[in-house]
Amino acid sequence: MRSSLRHAPKAFRTARPVACGAIGAPWLQHTRRQPPSRKLSTTTPTYHNPSSPTSSSVNETEISHFSALASSWWDPHGPSRPLHLMNPLRHDFIQACLSAPSTTSPTTPQPDPNALRYLDVGCGGGIFAESAARLPTTASVTAIDPSPTILTVARAHAKRDPSLGGGKLTYLSETIESLALPAAPADRFDVVSVFEVVEHVDYPAAFLDRVGEFVRPGGWLVLSTIARTWTSWLTTNLVAEDILGVVPKGTHDWYKYINEEELRAHFAGKGGVWGTPRAMGVVFVPGFGWKEVRGSEKIGNYFLGVQRVG
Amino acid sequence: MEVTLRRTAAAIARNNNGLRPAAAALTAAPSSRHFSLSSLTRPPPNYPGHVPLTRIEKAALAIGSGLMSLRDPRRGDLIAAFAEATATPYFIYRLRDAMLASPTGRRILRDRPRITSTSLNLPHLRSLPPGSVGRTYVAWLDREGVSPDTRSAVRYIDDAECAYVMQRYRECHDFYHALTGLPVVREGEVALKAFEFANTLLPMTGLSVFAAATLKRSERKRFGDIYLPWALRNGLRAAEVINVYWEEQLERDVGELRRELGVEPPPDLRDIRKREREERRRRKEEQAARDGGV
Amino acid sequence: MNTAIRRRSAYVCRSCTQSLQRQLRRTYASATAQPDIYDVVCVGGGPAGLSLLTALRANPVTAHLRIALVEAQDLAKTKSWKLPPNKFSNRCSSLTPSSASFLDQIGAWSHLERDRVQAYQEMQVWDGVTGARIEFDWAPGAAPAAGTTIAYMNENLNLTSGLLKRIEELGGVSVFDNAKVEKIAYGEETEDVDLREWPVVHLSGGKQLSARLLVGADGANSPVRSFAGIEARGWDYNRHGVVATLEMEGEGWGGEHLKTAYQRFLPTGPVAMLPLPGNHCTLVWSTTPTNASRLKSLSAKDFIATVNAAFRLSPTDLEYMHTQESGQAEEYSWRLEHTPLDYRTIPQTAVGVQEGTVASFPLKLRHADTYIAERVALVGDAAHTIHPLAGQGLNQGQGDVQSLAKAIEYAVGHGQDIGVTMALEPYASERYAANHLLLGVCDKLHKLYSVGSGPLVPLRSVGLNAVNALGPLKSFFMNQAAGNGIKVF
Repeated sequence: MRSSLRHAPKAFRTARPVACGAIGAPWLQHTRRQPPSRKLSTTTPTYHNPSSPTSSSVNETEISHFSALASSWWDPHGPSRPLHLMNPLRHDFIQACLSAPSTTSPTTPQPDPNALRYLDVGCGGGIFAESAARLPTTASVTAIDPSPTILTVARAHAKRDPSLGGGKLTYLSETIESLALPAAPADRFDVVSVFEVVEHVDYPAAFLDRVGEFVRPGGWLVLSTIARTWTSWLTTNLVAEDILGVVPKGTHDWYKYINEEELRAHFAGKGGVWGTPRAMGVVFVPGFGWKEVRGSEKIGNYFLGVQRVG
Repeated sequence: MEVTLRRTAAAIARNNNGLRPAAAALTAAPSSRHFSLSSLTRPPPNYPGHVPLTRIEKAALAIGSGLMSLRDPRRGDLIAAFAEATATPYFIYRLRDAMLASPTGRRILRDRPRITSTSLNLPHLRSLPPGSVGRTYVAWLDREGVSPDTRSAVRYIDDAECAYVMQRYRECHDFYHALTGLPVVREGEVALKAFEFANTLLPMTGLSVFAAATLKRSERKRFGDIYLPWALRNGLRAAEVINVYWEEQLERDVGELRRELGVEPPPDLRDIRKREREERRRRKEEQAARDGGV
Repeated sequence: MNTAIRRRSAYVCRSCTQSLQRQLRRTYASATAQPDIYDVVCVGGGPAGLSLLTALRANPVTAHLRIALVEAQDLAKTKSWKLPPNKFSNRCSSLTPSSASFLDQIGAWSHLERDRVQAYQEMQVWDGVTGARIEFDWAPGAAPAAGTTIAYMNENLNLTSGLLKRIEELGGVSVFDNAKVEKIAYGEETEDVDLREWPVVHLSGGKQLSARLLVGADGANSPVRSFAGIEARGWDYNRHGVVATLEMEGEGWGGEHLKTAYQRFLPTGPVAMLPLPGNHCTLVWSTTPTNASRLKSLSAKDFIATVNAAFRLSPTDLEYMHTQESGQAEEYSWRLEHTPLDYRTIPQTAVGVQEGTVASFPLKLRHADTYIAERVALVGDAAHTIHPLAGQGLNQGQGDVQSLAKAIEYAVGHGQDIGVTMALEPYASERYAANHLLLGVCDKLHKLYSVGSGPLVPLRSVGLNAVNALGPLKSFFMNQAAGNGIKVF
């Protein structure tokens, strides 16, 4: 079963495939474990020192799981179709963040809106990284992913578009822990994006702390994930994976989902480094695509952006 | 709601068919006309002898003349009125269009020739060779003792051109006798009406076929066995006989014209009747002989 | 959306292109020509292609795209097209108000010679067999706020010429006219770039254009469509459209400011008289190929008589007149005496036909299986060919272009590669069903009215009369025709 999943392009494998396959398990475990704020406040990260490149937020099973998807990553009708469809909304959300009134102190230099520097963490096949690099307002995109297999796909695909040549888009086979942090805060990134990643890492709080260091003052950390609710379990696990199969089975582990309030609490607890987060909930409408639905950030898929003020 | 409703649409639908003379359509208020006529408001005639009627009047005329002519089939005027009342609104237009579809038919409509004892030079026709259309025709007139002038004038068809078509049909009727060789006796008349119905589709001709009910039993059997099948087959198969410009065909051989139109001559009714009479006489004689022999 | 800045940097940056070309020269030193890389290569400089390029150039979001236009004809001639005010080209199309407003939005409308464009406000459509009629006229005070214009009649050359002037004003389009497309093939992979999925248009003379997005605006026999392996299905109507520019006895019953379009459904096909400025009209007569070639062979006098007959006489008379080698004028004047008419419901009498304007073209229905493929989009006649009875052919093309330009704008604004099907999908899904519906409606109308007799004839007349009598339904159709209402077609 697992080996067949590994070869099928639609198949993801997960750290705990049993947990999502077995109906009823979330209920039991939810009551047994500490609910909502568990992930971000109670988990002890494996590393505290950013300079330790060997420690990693990366879950090995997740890596091999997404690597198996590499060949179908760019197939617009393949298993990554929902991601392709979601990508334009990521830009809409980033635009909304960048054009929001800045909450930094007046003396903080602001990012140049016409020469933005992006860091895309967990870039996969490069759906977001390529699109960001194509924007005329982009100065550079650095895209990292721990899976060399997927980066091969990403690089091969980028080669198909001459406009992505000339050093505007750089793929690095790195984890956020291994990536060198630019010394000067001003050399860090204007936009650091973490799309559909935090629900796949083992220690999201530590992961986000590390990611946050790469955001320059005035810049934005933008992420997207799924809220841990009954609805999201029904839609993303039961319906999308088990019943309809539009998302490869085992892609999501519901227990790793993070609620918007947990993220808000996380950033608020960093002693004024971060501004007030913005959120945008989106809903997948089959046959239409993704649609922004106000308030749905509490229920299912959502974007969250937060400006580094300090 | 946002657009005007034009009540004239239906009226135009009727008028625009190109069936009524322009003068009539333009002088009469189209939609109200058919329901508000009285002898006081009756519109002017469209052609000499025209009697404009409302729809209701036409329906009454059709029923009245139909019933009366069934009671007295010799009332030619009633049959004519019945024919006119039932030819509209559809059948006479179909016949007119059949004429318009044919170059000769169009020429007839343009020339509007009339067939009368004066328009035709009857003595000349008598001098034509036997077997010619003219000679056969005049022989018919002489044999049956009829004249081309006995046809009544069309009065109840509103469109002048269609009125002419009806007139032409009537005036050509005797030529159809000549063409088919059917006599004017009731049996022959009914057979010719069946031929005409199949050829012109005029309702009156079809209804006249019901006169077969008034035939003697033996005649009716002969009609059903021989003449009705002949009439329907030939009427449908032949070219529209209304499109024959008879005035131009007088000197032609009637057999040739039949072939051209696709009409096969029916068994000669007079011959058959004669043979049957002789047969009956012979049987009677034989019977008498047998009786005498006993 | 930072548009001012977006305009600054090219989608395919010039340095990339140059370095790529150097690279290519190095790799294929023996090759005669290297492809130029474009974001959009449009094959076909007709109304659809030119409108698309104008729309892309006029929009600040897409203005930086590298665009090439390939056209077989001499576009300089088209651009400088000029006719005296009393002469009109025979190839005219109706432009709905929504097409006109799109052309205005992209800045092309003002480049048309406006005194050669004729708006019409009313329509008379009737059944040639039964005379059943529908009259599209506005009640006083009931005109919609968007205006009473149902459509504009315009010479196709006036439109293409205006679009070319607008493109010249905007600049930035590499024009390859008088150019024959020798073949379209896929590109190659080099050390730096992989263009194996990029179409390369090979022009006569050796020029090669690599296309991020290849747009087929190249008409019914689209080479781009063939390249993409997209089938166009449909059928021929066995009818020809006869066109001509006519001179009428006057400016129309409503004078200069209230013009009417007339269409009569004959069993051989519909005949339409559409107003042009002054006392001119353009004729579109769908009829059998035999009738069409007879019409083209007639003297001016007999041609005019037959045209007048087409709006006045019975189908029987017309059928007969089609068999005449000459003498239609005489036949017409005789039959007119015996044909009742309401003169306000038919066009004025044609009194002249402009020399050399009588022409015909075969009518067909075609619909491509899809409008998009990887790095290919089809617009206008390349995607669909419609029966001209509703005057929608050119408008469908404008609708396509507007939709495709919107999809490209969205893709550019969101960093999508404008050539991939994912970026083109909104175009295909928006236009395919709408065009299919309209194609079907016109096809069914043609077939319904091709019936000369039988039970369908009274039924269709009841239907037409019923629509005519039902004010709200009729005004719905009128708003549809004028492009004011809810979009159905």
